[in-house]
Amino acid sequence: MKNIIEVDGVKKYYKIAKREKGFFQTVKHLFHREYEVRKAVDDISFSIKKGEIVGFIGPNGAGKSTTIKMLSGILYPDAGTVKVNGFIPWKQRKQYVKNIGVVFGQKSQLNWDLPLIESFELMRYIYRIPKKKYEENLEKFTKLLDMESFINQPVRQLSLGQRMRGDIVASLLHSPEIVFFDEPTIGLDVVAKEKIREFIKYMNKTEQTTIIFTTHDMQDVEKVCERLIIIDLGKKIFDGSIDEIKQKYANSKSIEIQLEDGEKQIKMEPEIESIIRDIYEGKVSLSTDEGKENHS
Amino acid sequence: MRAYLEFAIKKFQNKMTYKLDFFMGIVNTTITIAVYLCIYKALYGNATEIDGITFQMVATNFVISLGLSSAFEYNEMFLQDRVKDGSIANEFLKPVNFIFRLLSENMGEGCFKILFHFLPATVFTLLYARLCPPKSWVHFLVMLVSVLLGYLILWLISLIIQTWSFWLFSVWGIITIKNVFVRILSGTMLPMWFMPEALKKVIAFTPFESIYFTPVQIYLGELSTMEILHKMGVQLIWIGILGCIAAFFWKKGVKKLVVQGG
Repeated sequence: MKNIIEVDGVKKYYKIAKREKGFFQTVKHLFHREYEVRKAVDDISFSIKKGEIVGFIGPNGAGKSTTIKMLSGILYPDAGTVKVNGFIPWKQRKQYVKNIGVVFGQKSQLNWDLPLIESFELMRYIYRIPKKKYEENLEKFTKLLDMESFINQPVRQLSLGQRMRGDIVASLLHSPEIVFFDEPTIGLDVVAKEKIREFIKYMNKTEQTTIIFTTHDMQDVEKVCERLIIIDLGKKIFDGSIDEIKQKYANSKSIEIQLEDGEKQIKMEPEIESIIRDIYEGKVSLSTDEGKENHS
Repeated sequence: MRAYLEFAIKKFQNKMTYKLDFFMGIVNTTITIAVYLCIYKALYGNATEIDGITFQMVATNFVISLGLSSAFEYNEMFLQDRVKDGSIANEFLKPVNFIFRLLSENMGEGCFKILFHFLPATVFTLLYARLCPPKSWVHFLVMLVSVLLGYLILWLISLIIQTWSFWLFSVWGIITIKNVFVRILSGTMLPMWFMPEALKKVIAFTPFESIYFTPVQIYLGELSTMEILHKMGVQLIWIGILGCIAAFFWKKGVKKLVVQGG
């Protein structure tokens, strides 16, 4: 299938003012500043096909959010090209955002004082969703996410899990082709997490929605994603399927034990969580994929 | 268009949710007007007019300028808060123009306050003070248009300062200073008639006179048709100038945000 997202050699550097300790340094800082360059994203390339679910993971500060921001058009890269759905996100922003949905786990877009349903109504006008489609989507989503009981409550009275579900629906009502989730399950309980995972999978299956999502929860990764992109220190260090990462980098092997009576089976598979931990801690060294390596 | 109207309606509904705020708004506006009328009543003493200005005209000036100025208040820290906590990102992810969305919301709030704070407060004021009627219905309607233009001037001044939050850590101080300037120079504390001639000449070169005093003059019928057209022309010119300045800062600010990250 066609590539819907193409990212090629993207870089984003931030200039950060250097500060040193001490009174005189502070005074000096007022008049003369030295800057150091932090490479938030340093030459990342990948492409994503329509209908894929891709997990975007990496330790805190690896450059995940910066990448998502560039893909959604809020930031523009210092070098490289990004093409999503035929658009250059930061250039054709207003046209482009009509076809995407973005959910930030830590920033709500709902109207604090009004019932959830009012925020949804507003989305209908913002995205000019036809009434029929809006009603269909709303009914389907509220059922799937179990929202009937609180849809008429003001947002400020909702629990975090309820609000998160509201946020997700608000970003999906216009049936976007691509959805970015930035830590959608952060701070949620097991049941709420499971609901959201199921919903993401359902959307992907029925609507062929392309989904990219960042998370620190390895259960999310294991249950939802087919493909994994791991970045660290601004570089892509792995790009492949979950099975691949298990086969290649697990320091434990999967064992299948079949007892004599044939009834009981014990299966032991390497856990994705421990693999990822090893990667973050640098215990497992990854070869830069496709042999593309950068010497600097 | 419909989306922006919805933003205004949603803000209107928002304001309805807080009952105490609703009633305090009426009390607040009524008391502010009453205090000023008492002061000026004392200043007038037994005189029927000063410099050809009757107490009734002064009272009318205060009801319009003070009443509207409290109706035209809104959260001027909105943009700063959004920039600070990064939720400005959410705004850029919607296919709407952020500036017009802001204007719609603020106007929605203004409409709410005019209906539920300004009008009741005016009715209360009428219980104890006599106000001038409008010169004619036509004057009244033209005044409404002029009030809208005055609002836009006020709003653009605020917007210009709000956009500085892309560079400054806090714009609260500047906004406070601006509000003091607006209060003094637009005639909501000392009616424009009583200002020293020199100051009047200076103010004529600023947008402040156009905010409340032009509508007041139109309402009272102090201006001839030509003068009305002239003053409203001045209002439009100020909207143009301030609009360009605001657009300039906004564009620069957004670029800075997009280039350097929020």
